[in-house]
Amino acid sequence: MAAGGLITPSLTNAQQSGQQPVESLKELSLEQLGNVEVTTASKEPEQVWKTPAAIYVLTQEDIRRSGATSIPELLRLVPGVAVARIDSDHWSVSIRGFAGQFSKSLLVLIDGRSVYTPLFAGVYWQVQDTVLEDIERIEVIRGPGGTIWGANAVNGVINIITKHSRDTQGALASATAGTLDQGIGEFRYGGGNDKGFNYRVYGKGFIRGSESHADNANFDHWRSGQLGFRTDWSPTSTDSITIQGDIYKSDDGERVAVSLYSPPSRLVLDGPHDVGGGNLLGRWNRKLDEDSDLQVQAYYDRTSRFSPQLGEIRNTFDIDLLYHVKLKNNQEISLGVGARWSPDTVLQNFDTLDFEPHQETDSIYSWFLQDQIPIVRDKLSLTVGSKFEHNNYSGFEIQPNARLLWTLTNHQTIWAAIARAVRTPSRLDQDLQLTTFLGGNLPIYLRVLGNKDFKPENLIGSEFGYRTLVAKSLYVDVSAFYNKYDDLYGYGAGTAFVETSPPPVRLILQLPLANALKGTTAGVEIAPEWEPFEWLKLKGSYSFLHLNVNNKSGFADALNTASDNGSSPHHQFELQTLFNLPKKLEIDGTVRYVSALPAQLVEAYTTADIRFGWRPSASWEFSLVGQNLLQPRHVEFGADVDTLVGIKRAGYLNITWRR
Amino acid sequence: MRNAWIAIVCVLLLDGSLCAQQPKPSEYQVKAVYLYNFGRFITWPANPDSKELKSFPICVLGQDPFGPALDTTLASESLDHKPIVIRRISKPQDSTECRILFIHSSASNQLKEILSALDHLAILTVSDMADFSKRGGMIQFVLEGEKVRFEVNLANTENANLTLSSELLKVARVVRRNDKSGD
Repeated sequence: MAAGGLITPSLTNAQQSGQQPVESLKELSLEQLGNVEVTTASKEPEQVWKTPAAIYVLTQEDIRRSGATSIPELLRLVPGVAVARIDSDHWSVSIRGFAGQFSKSLLVLIDGRSVYTPLFAGVYWQVQDTVLEDIERIEVIRGPGGTIWGANAVNGVINIITKHSRDTQGALASATAGTLDQGIGEFRYGGGNDKGFNYRVYGKGFIRGSESHADNANFDHWRSGQLGFRTDWSPTSTDSITIQGDIYKSDDGERVAVSLYSPPSRLVLDGPHDVGGGNLLGRWNRKLDEDSDLQVQAYYDRTSRFSPQLGEIRNTFDIDLLYHVKLKNNQEISLGVGARWSPDTVLQNFDTLDFEPHQETDSIYSWFLQDQIPIVRDKLSLTVGSKFEHNNYSGFEIQPNARLLWTLTNHQTIWAAIARAVRTPSRLDQDLQLTTFLGGNLPIYLRVLGNKDFKPENLIGSEFGYRTLVAKSLYVDVSAFYNKYDDLYGYGAGTAFVETSPPPVRLILQLPLANALKGTTAGVEIAPEWEPFEWLKLKGSYSFLHLNVNNKSGFADALNTASDNGSSPHHQFELQTLFNLPKKLEIDGTVRYVSALPAQLVEAYTTADIRFGWRPSASWEFSLVGQNLLQPRHVEFGADVDTLVGIKRAGYLNITWRR
Repeated sequence: MRNAWIAIVCVLLLDGSLCAQQPKPSEYQVKAVYLYNFGRFITWPANPDSKELKSFPICVLGQDPFGPALDTTLASESLDHKPIVIRRISKPQDSTECRILFIHSSASNQLKEILSALDHLAILTVSDMADFSKRGGMIQFVLEGEKVRFEVNLANTENANLTLSSELLKVARVVRRNDKSGD
């Protein structure tokens, strides 16, 4: 309930326009009335307005009208987030730089469950899915969030929050057929009683075609199925208990280059990537009294993945306790403690790729304290706090922050923040052994070796932001940042030696991983929203990013500096229009421009999506969507092996039924 | 076909008169209908002082965010067999004869005084200001995405001897806080 969307009082004054005959509204039952969608002056809830951070909220309406069929595609709508589709089942999703299939410094949570994998330090986006209609909202916080969210929330946090089961009552069935999204089927059923118990169950399955490959390969054709449930129960007026879980299986694919010590020294494999998993989460929230509450959350998450190169089986156990109190002098104090254990097993398929040891248990113990202090009531507030965290790789880490929020007028706020965040070492940094064939008669191999002394990457970030309601219908959000990074991932000084075991003889050029790089990033994100008429809404965004990553003294890593500096777009523009037409018709369009990524050999591109929606009755909804329409194919990011993958123009038709 | 043409014209001309045929109701139209429903699904105690009201007054204290919505929705209706009258008042003292009192969020700073003046009176207090139900109010409108929902603080409605029907409780978010201080 803490997260109800409350509009600021100042934003609700101007509601006189567009009066309708309301006779029909009076006919509705209370339940139906609660499901009528209304127009409001601004979608920005009070929480957003009063958050001293660069936060953006994607609402269910944004999600429904985006035409996107996956969570990473939805994130394209968020200012400052760089989403690049690598192929049909892989993405690079990054915030404020450091893009890659595994963007190491981004934390992603689904209903409070971290989906960051500690093996590769990143997110397997292809298995982060649900019925998109059941998502309540997606909150994206750009910038360091380590104080609350913990390690790896260096450049941002993506928080995916599904609906309370009270809000998913009744049945839903949805079918999609298209050129790339060849088939998507979804069902959901929700019920409950008047004693505060509600539930839903859902299922989803899809088949998606492959993107465009130079050799007409189709390794990235994929299928996926998922089942899940959520129950919410309020046994007393002060307690609420949520239990939810999902199981999934995805049969996607990837093209990988594997090196061998004997001929053929290099092998390109188009192989299946079998990923399966499940999770179970419980959360208990108790209101202790008027001004304090306590929350306990625990979850279990299992993933297993078998790629042509490597297998990984991981079980994660996590427990968190959170206490929040508002003191008599209006200070708000939050404190939390948490623990996570994550044992894994790595299955080696080739001599040339390994994680040593094969089994490892990641452990994190953390606690945090944060105080929000009103300096001038309703005008100026200061938030200070820190996370203290112990992990099995680098020991003890401190992630403090200080944030100031100044409410200038009812229509203008300014915030500023300074924070430290760390990206703790992962299995990749410390345990990797990756050997790649380079060529030669006496075969030469490059070996990248994990470093047991790898330290955390760290960031001191300073940010500032301004939000204003320029006029009744125009809202502008601006944020700017300057980030200073140290001890970034890179290669240390190389050594060369002859290796004889296992035979045959070869020359090895060995590069140890090291905290070799440092750098700065700076940027600005501007996101206006304009609703000139009740039937037309325009949303735009422009994101500018400047990166300057260099070697620290004593290092000369040209590869990772080039990759860090050249894999994130310097400029991104996006314009979204939402039209409400007569007869319940909707026409929604998006145009976006992404500047070139030299390190990925990707040129700048502009493309557009369009959606026609029609809701002839409360039960039926039809939508026809065209995606990436401006060219037959375009490249968004470099793939793992040799040639670039073209992301195709696509279209689909969806029919959704609800009752 | 005609619809398609209208759609195209809308896109080209951005002409509101053609295009706004079936827009969504505004937030406050729905809230006005809620006020009517609260009147239907809540039972007020029999008036102890024989001064029986001849009408069912619904009052708005402070700025009126409803615009014409309140009048068009409620003008010709009756509740409890009495015609609804709508009063816009500026002083809290004027609210003692209301059955339903909507308090505009601009009155947030005076909320404590307003509510203490109404203590134990059978007046349903409604608002959309933040933390209204926490601060001693009875029904607080809450926007969930683009839907208008509401939260009821039963401790406060019981204090005023108002009885809420089960239909209403079924769709409400029920909270129960015994907060006598009103802040």
